[in-house]
Amino acid sequence: MRRPPKMKSAAAAAAIVALLAAGASACASSSGSGTTASTGGTLTIQGDAGTPTLTENFNPLQPATELHGTYLIYEPLEIPSPVNGSYTPFLATGYQFTNPTTLVYTIRQGVKWSDGTPFTPADVVFTFNLLKKNPGLDGNGVWSQISGVSASGNDVTIRFKAPNVPFAGIIAQTPIVPQHVWSKIADPVKFTNTHPVGTGPFVLSKFAPTQYTLAKNKLYWNASKIAPSTVVFPAEASNQSTNQLAVSSGQFDWSYTFLPDVKKTYVDRDPAHNQYWFPPGGTIGLYLNLTKAPFTSVDFRRGLSLALNRTAIAQKAVNGYMAQASLSGLILPNLSKWLDPSLPDQGQVSQSKPAALAAFAKAGYTMRGGNLTSSNGTKASLTIVLPNSFSDWVAAATEVKNELTADGITVTLDLPQYAQYSQEIQAGTFDAAIGGFGGTGSPYTDFNNALNSTYAAPINTPTANNFERFKSPAVNQALATLASSTSTATQQQATDKLELMMYNTVPIVLLYYGGSWGLFSTKHFTGWPSASDPYTLPTNYNNALLTVVTHLRKA
Amino acid sequence: MRYVLRKVVLFVLTLWAAITLNFILPRLMPGSPVDAALGKLASAGVPITNAERNAIEIQLGVPHSGLLTQYLEYLRNIATLRFGTSYSFPSQTVAQTIGKALPWTLILIGATTIVAFIIGTLLGVYAGWHRGRAADSSITIGATFFGAFPPFWLGLLLLYLLAFRYGWFPIKGGFSPGASPNLSLSFLADALRHSVLPALTLVITTMSGWVFGMRNNMINTLGEDFVTFAEANGLRDRTVALRYAARNALLPNVTAFGLSLGAVVGGAVLVEGVFSYPGVGGLLFIAVTNHDFPLMQALLLVFTLSMLVAIFIVDLLYVRLDPRVRT
Repeated sequence: MRRPPKMKSAAAAAAIVALLAAGASACASSSGSGTTASTGGTLTIQGDAGTPTLTENFNPLQPATELHGTYLIYEPLEIPSPVNGSYTPFLATGYQFTNPTTLVYTIRQGVKWSDGTPFTPADVVFTFNLLKKNPGLDGNGVWSQISGVSASGNDVTIRFKAPNVPFAGIIAQTPIVPQHVWSKIADPVKFTNTHPVGTGPFVLSKFAPTQYTLAKNKLYWNASKIAPSTVVFPAEASNQSTNQLAVSSGQFDWSYTFLPDVKKTYVDRDPAHNQYWFPPGGTIGLYLNLTKAPFTSVDFRRGLSLALNRTAIAQKAVNGYMAQASLSGLILPNLSKWLDPSLPDQGQVSQSKPAALAAFAKAGYTMRGGNLTSSNGTKASLTIVLPNSFSDWVAAATEVKNELTADGITVTLDLPQYAQYSQEIQAGTFDAAIGGFGGTGSPYTDFNNALNSTYAAPINTPTANNFERFKSPAVNQALATLASSTSTATQQQATDKLELMMYNTVPIVLLYYGGSWGLFSTKHFTGWPSASDPYTLPTNYNNALLTVVTHLRKA
Repeated sequence: MRYVLRKVVLFVLTLWAAITLNFILPRLMPGSPVDAALGKLASAGVPITNAERNAIEIQLGVPHSGLLTQYLEYLRNIATLRFGTSYSFPSQTVAQTIGKALPWTLILIGATTIVAFIIGTLLGVYAGWHRGRAADSSITIGATFFGAFPPFWLGLLLLYLLAFRYGWFPIKGGFSPGASPNLSLSFLADALRHSVLPALTLVITTMSGWVFGMRNNMINTLGEDFVTFAEANGLRDRTVALRYAARNALLPNVTAFGLSLGAVVGGAVLVEGVFSYPGVGGLLFIAVTNHDFPLMQALLLVFTLSMLVAIFIVDLLYVRLDPRVRT
């Protein structure tokens, strides 16, 4: 769900659309001739931020600064799909909870590191202990949940401090590094790993300041199934408009960019090969500070929720590429297998002014002289804070403001830089904020990050999780059940409870789905994720890269 | 001599003030470098968690010491020319980062500033001499038209037409993807091809200032007695225009030119951004978005220093150019 471009002005935005659209008719290239060879060929992937040159960093344990190619050099144990949570195995062939606090992975045999050294379960144990020793590498907080890791034979056993079955998804995604290389690194946190040794399907072949190239790893355990012989990562333009022109001109096999009017600006430029898939990748919501009146009132929150026309908001924010969000908290259709069938209309709520006014009235707010006013005369007002560079959020917030103003609520938009926004929401000094919810593919992780009361820090103590500071013993209970259960039926029951809680008590006023903007060319390779084969999200900047590239076949 | 001494003292005081401001200004921005780093993850759709926040805090190594301690250390670092490691480019020192970007900016912006100054000044002289006639109106209107273009917008337009639509020039960058900067002929040719569009953008949009400045100075000077005297002596038009009028009208423009040369080092943030040009303007943009204090401080220092030196030199030059300041 990377952001659509920040535009200098509406005029500039309109002009880019016009430019791209005009170019579309100008040069549709001829279709390429198909070859029959099953492997070989160059795969070109857009998206590594050139600023404007690349910073060489292949440390797989630094997801914030590593180059994207790192995901093809190192492998984790398994990768759960962020769409529906189903697993693709890599360095593990399977896993099992022998009890809710003991997780056993069976490690793949016959795997070699790219320098020829055999890969063993000891490397897995080493990697997890490396995270323990260097909290700066443990961005997923693995050691906040586990107490120990050990190997015996082909098995690696992870012990949890407390039952947390869904956390297996995060453990599984930890990239495994070679002990014989990393045990000699003095400061792995600052290590930029310019000569990476991994188990993945590719190795680094050439690095230049604006482009780097990976070559197929001859020693890869599944080498015969890997189609591309080289993968090229050119630096992305630091300017979004320039980047859009580069994507539109067809230099890439796989890009990830929000393009306005994608049919004209991308597909029509090579209709035989260019395709796009924009699945939902997260939910965008209006967060309310639940320590402040009137947002402490469930009825007031429900009133706000009913006052909004989510279809209009989604239309304004993301050109209508995305649908309005289900208030169950689940991203649909990705997670529909978890959806509680008793929720009306799949948890979607439509705008209804009378219902909104009725809910506001229950909260003690009535219309007086065109203003929604409480019984003691306070006029309803809220300031929504959001980062000015997230243009889809800005468009959504503007629409929210217009709609709520029509209902007699005074709305102010506060648009600082991201850093200030982050500071305000985490400290809890905000009224209302636009923010992202979920998107991990695991309902537990999504709900736990956003709703678990243990994260609800006092005001002015920063917290990134549950920054709206929601507190509910019932929700905690359901989360604990979900964390400790290995039975699908129990998991479903607890998830249903959370969805219902989300729907009824509106801790976050969910608005619309944030998009995942995948643009593919089938000229050289096929097998891209799509609506008919949604095996992962089309994000080319995280480990979906490994899942997708191992799925590709030569065109 | 007292004039020069006074200027030196002023220079040192201004330098200290500028250095201190460079320290204070970045820290006045709300939010911390950690918050800024989280923004990058958030815009990539990564769920922001407390664990992630902790890890980034450790990775960046943001100092927790008090502001005064940081300030004293900052002064010591400047004195010893050590600027530390930036948060945005952890694999190299700040000096290396800036050192790589500076030549690109100096050559691109330096060359375009000089070209724009020469063309603009000549056009200004011509328009001023032929004031009120067709040549004057067309030059003035043309300069107004092109000068009104926001540079980044003209850049995008040229990019679309000449690079995207017709493919005559590369879409972005200072050199071809895959190439590494070196001094071979083929690389220089490649770099030159990449610099045409940004250079064109800058020349077109900055030229008009010189045209107007020179034209108006010319018209003022042409009303002076010595010009009338020269004309009355029957000197050729060309001689009067260039040797008598233009030479005197040029003085204020030279001052401005000195200052704009000092500003060259600052780069052209937006134009470098549009073309993904590997210069310091783009670097400053990155530093600001990342709350990258070490990089920002060093960049601002380079900018202020070159500006101050330019002003200092212009001040000293005036001693020679204008006898009135010597007293």
